[in-house]
Amino acid sequence: MKGTHLGEFQEIILLTILVLDDDAYGVTIKREINQRVKRSISRGALHTALTRLEEKGFITSEQAEGSPERGGRPKRYYTVSNRGIEAIQEAKALRDQLWSQIPKLRLQHPYAG
Amino acid sequence: MPADRTTPPRFFTRLFERFCKQNLYDELQGDLEEEFYLNLEEFGIARARKLYRREVLKMLRPSVVKKIRNQPTYYNHTAMFRNYSIVAFRNLSRNRLFSAINIIGLAISMAVGLIAITFVSEIYSYDNFHDNRDRLFRVVSNLHRTNGNVTEYATASVFAGNRLANDFAGFEAVAPLTKGFRGEMRKGESSIAIQGIYANNDFFKVLSFQLLAGNSGSALTEPNSVILTETAAQKLFDRSDVVGEIIEWKDQTPYKITGVLKDPPSNSHLKFDAIASLKTLEEKNISTVTDFGVIWASHVYVLLPENYDLQQIQTNLDKLAEEENPKLKYWQLSLGLERFDDIFPSTGKANQFSTVMPKEKVTSIVVLALIVLFSACFNYTNLSLARSLKRSKEIGVRKVVGAGKTHLFLQFIIEAILVAVIAVIISYGLFQLIKPEFLALDFYIQRTTTLDLQPINYLYFFLFAVAIGILAGLFPSLLMTRFKPVNILKGVSVKTSKGVGLRKVLVGIQFALSMGFATLVTMTYKQYKYALNFDLGFTTENILNVEVQSNTPEVLKSQFQAVPEVAGVSSASIMPSTGNSMSNFVKYKNPLDSVTAYTMDIGPDYLTNMGHQLLAGPGFEKEGTGDRAIVNELFLKEIGINKSSEAIGEQISFYNKTWMITGVVKDFHYGTIKNELEPFIFTMGRQDHYYLNVKLKTNDITATMNRLESAWKEVDNVHPFEARFYDDWLQDTYSDMNASLKTFGLLSGVAICISILGLLGMAVYNAESRLKELAIRKVLGATLSSLMLLLSRSFMGIFILSACVAIPLAYYIYEETIVSTAVYKINIGFWELASGALLIVAVALLTISSQTMKAARSNPAESLRNE
Repeated sequence: MKGTHLGEFQEIILLTILVLDDDAYGVTIKREINQRVKRSISRGALHTALTRLEEKGFITSEQAEGSPERGGRPKRYYTVSNRGIEAIQEAKALRDQLWSQIPKLRLQHPYAG
Repeated sequence: MPADRTTPPRFFTRLFERFCKQNLYDELQGDLEEEFYLNLEEFGIARARKLYRREVLKMLRPSVVKKIRNQPTYYNHTAMFRNYSIVAFRNLSRNRLFSAINIIGLAISMAVGLIAITFVSEIYSYDNFHDNRDRLFRVVSNLHRTNGNVTEYATASVFAGNRLANDFAGFEAVAPLTKGFRGEMRKGESSIAIQGIYANNDFFKVLSFQLLAGNSGSALTEPNSVILTETAAQKLFDRSDVVGEIIEWKDQTPYKITGVLKDPPSNSHLKFDAIASLKTLEEKNISTVTDFGVIWASHVYVLLPENYDLQQIQTNLDKLAEEENPKLKYWQLSLGLERFDDIFPSTGKANQFSTVMPKEKVTSIVVLALIVLFSACFNYTNLSLARSLKRSKEIGVRKVVGAGKTHLFLQFIIEAILVAVIAVIISYGLFQLIKPEFLALDFYIQRTTTLDLQPINYLYFFLFAVAIGILAGLFPSLLMTRFKPVNILKGVSVKTSKGVGLRKVLVGIQFALSMGFATLVTMTYKQYKYALNFDLGFTTENILNVEVQSNTPEVLKSQFQAVPEVAGVSSASIMPSTGNSMSNFVKYKNPLDSVTAYTMDIGPDYLTNMGHQLLAGPGFEKEGTGDRAIVNELFLKEIGINKSSEAIGEQISFYNKTWMITGVVKDFHYGTIKNELEPFIFTMGRQDHYYLNVKLKTNDITATMNRLESAWKEVDNVHPFEARFYDDWLQDTYSDMNASLKTFGLLSGVAICISILGLLGMAVYNAESRLKELAIRKVLGATLSSLMLLLSRSFMGIFILSACVAIPLAYYIYEETIVSTAVYKINIGFWELASGALLIVAVALLTISSQTMKAARSNPAESLRNE
């Protein structure tokens, strides 16, 4: 599983972490995704994806002290590594390239042809 | 309901804690909780709790759930097993003596085990070639005599079989058969002796014997048709395509060959050379096929339909017996069914088709083998326990490095299995050595088993080795895995007091076994010798008994008398003291009173030839007149005549005739040691004589035998010369005792070997481990003898205790089995009882002292120098 392929969900997570900047940990990442993508993801699914990303070296994480609202339990903050940034940029470049290749007509008349 | 409704559901929290990986739990639980409180504010308690629950359940995924085992799951099994076997081999080669003791001891006893396995698997493979074995039965008869005696017979009459087939429902096929198709079959010049049966076509429906040629549906329809086995056909014709040929019976009746049968396999209880059609007998209308009561040599095999109803069939059998019994005068019959699987091995029914292994014999062989095996396992257990201290460091290190109990247990069990497997290879050689001995052991084994190894046996042997390894290694492995690494590595000696007690018990059991067997052997041997040398009252020395067969005794007699080494020839109807006997009620004066007397018919020179002592009267004249009798002293006593001379000329009546007493002989033993002296009468000219007693005076037995044989050939060129020395015959009469003697002899040899080996191991270990103690004692002034006493003392108690258990038990077994039927037996005194045990103790002490001597003699400076 340790490929460099970036799945759609993983891409969203990487972007979300970048959006959240300093405040990216389990709860915030989940809420951010829930709000923006309008889809309900479970903490468990998030955990699996984060683990994969970390295995691939796209994100790094560190533990921090907990706050009282979580019973003093530690949090794990995630940051996107350089490799991670490269990976989403690559993904974006690929998409941009594909976008630019699409004939204009098709775009304006989605039902044509 | 929990009082505080604003917390996450406690059950789910706990559940999550249960299944979540330890290192993730805190973070994830933190996240879940934080989110719960956020949800609580946003959506209220119910929704928050619901979400929480769903979240927890969705945590059930591989990346979160903890592995079943808390340890790393991947082991390098190959490497571990390789390490185990390397360590095991190193251990074996480091302690050569102990390994040798273990392996040899196990090998000896496992050879006995291999014999038992092969024997039992052969016995239980009997008759397994028949299809539908679960539906095959044999009709058996119980014979009720008027005096209330009941005898179980394995037979049933052909008549009963035919009636069951024709008049009763509930049978798929009924195959009656009868023995007695026996004699010489001729084809031109060549002839063979046949042992065959009569049967009908249903024989092939019931039993799975294969015809190579001929039609199984019609081969036995016509009278005088016969099916030969392949071997018989080969012998007679030198080829096997013989269907349609005509062969001649001894009385020149022609038989047509209608089929060739594949030879019955060696594991069939039905063995025969030929099958003749039952119709042959039915045409002759003889009682074997027409009488309900003639059950003696006939068997009825039945195949029941599927979903058979045994009770219904039993009702039918009872009905048949009820209908037919009124025709029987002297006894009544009741019929029953016997499962085919119960025929071999069997539980003693009379008139089996062929020799059948008694079930008790199989059980006793298995039990004896198990006893010997346990004894050898004890050795391994003992020595491993004793030496477990030496391995404690290894165990400690292994534990510290991370071996769990299971690993260590596995390691020691593997070691034990390895030893057992090496031992089984050696024991295979021993097995081949003792196989012929075992086969010659007794009548039943000789007649029914071959001990040929089937491929499956090798698998059994291997499994057996593994089982023995586990059994032997179980206890020491359990004990050794319990050692605490901290104690071991600190150098604190591990307490093995539990082991010591157990070791003593095991050694005790071993010695009790050896002593028991040895005592049994001593007593049986003495009784056997006693039986053979028993003073019968006549001489058996140098007497050669020749079977007359179909010749005239007088002609043979004159032929033999011409041989120079022959000192005398006489003839007799049967030979006394060999287990055969005849008796009749004898009346004297009072017609209402009678005496049971055993009788035997003899020729003129018998009494002098056999060295009987004539006390009174002239004896017999040269020619038998058929009305003269010679009686023994006991007979006179029974009929109330006190002086032998008074009896001469008295009239007695038996065998429906009146006889005159013309002589009185000194009492002699007519039966075996199982019989008391009985009243006895010699007659002359009443019966045919089957034996010639040739008294020999020779130094060259072979030459004399050759001369006798050529003398025989002058008279009879067809039958072989059958002669046996009387003494050999007597020996055969006591062959069952001889068999027990050999069995116990073999087993005691094995048991003694094993226990002495074990003791040697223990003695060596004891002396080694107490080397320093002995040295210190010596320095302080202990003498050699006091040291030896110190080392042997602990064993002495064991010996005494095991002798106390073993000797009475051996005596009991001896009385109950070996001499239970004997009237004349040896007096059991101190030496008969104790000599076996004393011998073993002597050998044991010698073994111990050889070791203690070595230890006690060693220079104390040597053993104390290094610390």
